[in-house]
Amino acid sequence: MRVSHEWLGEMVDLEGVEPAQVADLLTLSGTEVEKVTPFGVGLDQVVVGEVVGLRRVEGSDHLFLAHVAIPGLEPREVICGADNLFVGALVPWARPGTHLPIGVEIGRKRLRGIWSEGMLCAPDELGLGSDHDGVLILSPEDAEVGMPLARLYPADHLYELEVLSNRADCLSHWGVARELSALLSRPLRDPEASRPAPSSAAPAVQVTVASSADCPVYLAEVLTGFSNAPAPAFVRRRLTAIGQRSLGGIVDLANYVMFEVGQPLHTFDLDRLPAPGDELAVGVRRGRTGESLTCLDGVTRELDPETLVVTVGDAPQAVAGLIGGEASAVGGDTSQVLLEAANFNWARLRSTSRRLRLRTEASGRFERQLSPHLARRGADRFVHLAVRHLGARLGPGAEGGAPLAPAEAIRCDPVRISSILGMELGPEAVASPLRRLQFEVWPGDGEMLATPSPYRTDVTTEVDLAEEVGRIIGYREVPGTLPAIRQPPPLEALAEPVARLTSAACRAAGFSEAMSLSLVSGERERLAPRLVGDLAHLELANPLSMQLGSLRQGLLQGLLQSAHHNQARGQDSVRLFEQGAAFWARGQERPEEPWMLAVLDLADGSAEDGATRLRRIMALIASLSSVGGGGAVEFRPVAWPALHRARAAEVWAGAERRGIVGEVAQPVTDAFDVRGRVEVAELRLDGWLKPGGRQGHAPPLPRTPALVLDLSVTVPSRALLGPALQAVAALGLPELERVTPIDEYLGDQLGTGVKGWTLRLRLRHPERTLTAAEGDRARQAVLRALELEVGAKPR
Amino acid sequence: MTPVDLQELTAMALEEIARADSLDRLDEVRLRYLGRRDGLVTLAGQRLRELGPEQRAVFGQEFNRASGQLRSALETRQRELAAGEAERREDAEWVDMSHPFREADQGHAHPVTGLIREIEDIFAFLGYQSVGGPELEDDQHNFQLLNMPPEHPARDAHDTFYLSPPAGGWLYRTHTSPVQMRAMLGSPPPLRIIVPGKVARRDNPDPTHTPVFHQVEGLCIDHGVTLGDLKGTLEYAIRALFGRDRRVRLRASFFPYTEPSLEADVACAVCQGAGCRTCLQKGWIEILGSGMVHPQVLRNGGVDPGTYSGFAFGMGPDRIAVLRYGLTDLRDLYENDLRLLECF
Repeated sequence: MRVSHEWLGEMVDLEGVEPAQVADLLTLSGTEVEKVTPFGVGLDQVVVGEVVGLRRVEGSDHLFLAHVAIPGLEPREVICGADNLFVGALVPWARPGTHLPIGVEIGRKRLRGIWSEGMLCAPDELGLGSDHDGVLILSPEDAEVGMPLARLYPADHLYELEVLSNRADCLSHWGVARELSALLSRPLRDPEASRPAPSSAAPAVQVTVASSADCPVYLAEVLTGFSNAPAPAFVRRRLTAIGQRSLGGIVDLANYVMFEVGQPLHTFDLDRLPAPGDELAVGVRRGRTGESLTCLDGVTRELDPETLVVTVGDAPQAVAGLIGGEASAVGGDTSQVLLEAANFNWARLRSTSRRLRLRTEASGRFERQLSPHLARRGADRFVHLAVRHLGARLGPGAEGGAPLAPAEAIRCDPVRISSILGMELGPEAVASPLRRLQFEVWPGDGEMLATPSPYRTDVTTEVDLAEEVGRIIGYREVPGTLPAIRQPPPLEALAEPVARLTSAACRAAGFSEAMSLSLVSGERERLAPRLVGDLAHLELANPLSMQLGSLRQGLLQGLLQSAHHNQARGQDSVRLFEQGAAFWARGQERPEEPWMLAVLDLADGSAEDGATRLRRIMALIASLSSVGGGGAVEFRPVAWPALHRARAAEVWAGAERRGIVGEVAQPVTDAFDVRGRVEVAELRLDGWLKPGGRQGHAPPLPRTPALVLDLSVTVPSRALLGPALQAVAALGLPELERVTPIDEYLGDQLGTGVKGWTLRLRLRHPERTLTAAEGDRARQAVLRALELEVGAKPR
Repeated sequence: MTPVDLQELTAMALEEIARADSLDRLDEVRLRYLGRRDGLVTLAGQRLRELGPEQRAVFGQEFNRASGQLRSALETRQRELAAGEAERREDAEWVDMSHPFREADQGHAHPVTGLIREIEDIFAFLGYQSVGGPELEDDQHNFQLLNMPPEHPARDAHDTFYLSPPAGGWLYRTHTSPVQMRAMLGSPPPLRIIVPGKVARRDNPDPTHTPVFHQVEGLCIDHGVTLGDLKGTLEYAIRALFGRDRRVRLRASFFPYTEPSLEADVACAVCQGAGCRTCLQKGWIEILGSGMVHPQVLRNGGVDPGTYSGFAFGMGPDRIAVLRYGLTDLRDLYENDLRLLECF
């Protein structure tokens, strides 16, 4: 919302207060000022001139030559591009030598052989808003030829406000002035609102409100005797300043009152309302199925029992609080009006506004729980202005709804307020800011009572009062402290989280961390390798797009996309990992959120082949499980969708499958537009790795020497090392400390269909040196086990 | 053999030692003159026995001097040759030591996780435990328990992703605040937790929005916690994150789940508060929302507001990353471009 400094100044004394200070005070107390713009500043050199002659410039299709006059000066020639000039028009004239507020100096200019004596200005060229549709035409009621424009547009500043959603009371100049009055400790001057005695000559009105829950208050006033006069100059100037177009005297006044005191008003042309008999029967009720209303914007809207409507003679005339009907709209010939100042249920208006996809200045205010007490202020202010400035006469009004409950007093204990804010405040220190906010305060022994201003719907409890006190005093004044720790934090807080352990292991292995959105295209993710297997995706009911329509089931889809992104930008080697939640559907039940890790290694045209890079990932998985306290892992070769048929394995730890690892099948890399071999793994970490990681345990460290023997065998070329080493371990040889595969020989020298393995055995006895014979026996036992398991032969 | 012969022999040996150009050659020289069995000097020494006592004394002295001289010459020459040979070997093992390495072949943490870790560590110092919570929530935890009944205007700012049937009862959490409720309902006060995690709002991706982003929530509930405690905590955390001298301001705000509510701004790093494009001419950049936990929210969490009070805050590490690292587009955080990741 935009508010004017000059307008505010009418309600609170701003003498000596700079706009920047106003902005600062409002912002810190909760009404954020997003921008301060000067309006009508520096217009004392621009004068009001009269166009006394006008013709087209020869040879130009868009330039006009105007003769502009001011008293005591021969008319001068001014060239102008705007097409809204006419003889007799009063216009702002910047003569040569004038400095315009937008930072331009006007000179004498020669155009098409004619000397142009300055410039006739559009509003934006004068710093009066953004309008550039034509030269600003001044009304003869306000302007006098020859006077400086500054008399019409006194220097002003406009504040662009971001009003908090619970502060409907601040959506008006009066509301903002209430804030400033409290913040500056200067008295508040309420807008004048005197009511003349009603005349009985006007038509009588009757109001029936079907439900006071829907409509707590409905005030109807009848005003007659309007002439077709524009609103007074100050009204039009202020409306222009805050960006509102002038729409005729009556509508301008209603808008003016809304922006001034905050109460939305609606005016119906009395002569266009159905009035059987002499009485106007105004009603507020729900719409009926099948009813419709053609609104002010020309759109016909269907009404229904969820929609509140204002009726006259039971015929809908307005969608309550949102928009009026076209048939009863006020026009240039309107001479008497029915004025509505009402309050409608915020929740109902919110849902109606959403259903009709329509938001108006009025509905925006009601939706934020505008105080019903404002209706009376709004009606009275309109009546006051209409009677004084538009010559209207007041008729007998009527009201509907329930009697308004007065604002309730709230218990307020300065000790509790102090303990919420964390600063010592005595009774007067608490009472003063509340009084400045127009709250009533009754001091008592210790506790006091405070009744909020009736226009504040957001203050209902003691903590609300604490906030009022705090923000008016200013949070700058609150001393910063730290809360005392009386109990130690839980010991679990000390364990290093799994995510950190994992990240460290992955980074140490050369993988960089990626981060993807959790939203994917389910169709695309189904192409990627996934640990979850075959499971329907969780879909969003209201996605932004199909590309972001499903919740991810794994992380590899994202990494493949990132691999493509990086490769397309010239990275030949991409090593990424990502950790995060995936989402697995379980019907109506709470979906499962496994904590996943995925790694990807892509090297196009690198010296390292796919198998080497695959082994690095497998080594990473083994060390991750080890440091994460997940125990030994086992890789079980398997055929897995989207993975290379001869390069894929499940990752097992204990009795659980924890993940998959392998090379992405070529059709899949093609689908993701990635060149080269891509090695990946996807693992589920929760339930496997533990916070704090491996709990180390020191083994005995015998001082006896080790006996190290190498054993070379030939085995069939597809023999599996994993089961072979498990068979050796199963022997349970007490002195066999470690078996390390140190070489795999794949050359032709051993014959076809076979390959060579060399295993290094490290043997040790805890108390004595092993003999060569003992070493040999162990070697024979290992050989026998390998022979049985994979058909190994000594080499 | 006379002392003069011995002198000639010694001179010859010394010359040969000097001429030996490898350790092997030198060893040959040593054997020829000082070999245990038939070295020329060794043999000369054996003749001592054939001499009379006077001659023996004279010649003996001469012999000891000569052999000592040879031994020391051999040793010196051996050291020289050994050193030369190591040099030659090392020369053959030349490595280009000017190779311009950039850094070790280590992976990099994502800037957002890096920041989350930093925030966790700052708060760990103040006694806060980092906990997680589900990313899919129900309306109850995401809104209602936090004082946002259906139709509440504050829901406008939380444009929510809902799931399709049969999982229609679930939504993607719009903030990490539901974890506050889970923590309160899960264990009695005192509570000091920090909750980093992903949240989602239905915003079309643009330079300042991504539909999924991160938040870090904080909650402290204990006896006698005050707004001053909130202020002191935030000022400490913000200075830890943005630098000791960074100006911080707290301004009044509104959240349904806190009362009083505050937002924290830091002075814009680009213009130092003067107003520029980065801060939209405000001079300040909003980084965090906070407040004293609303008594009704405490009650909803099973905490008695008569006994306990607390504060809560929430910040966006993605936005902080943008501010701290000079990114121009939030979406870059989710592209995983290695040229960016490698800088962290």
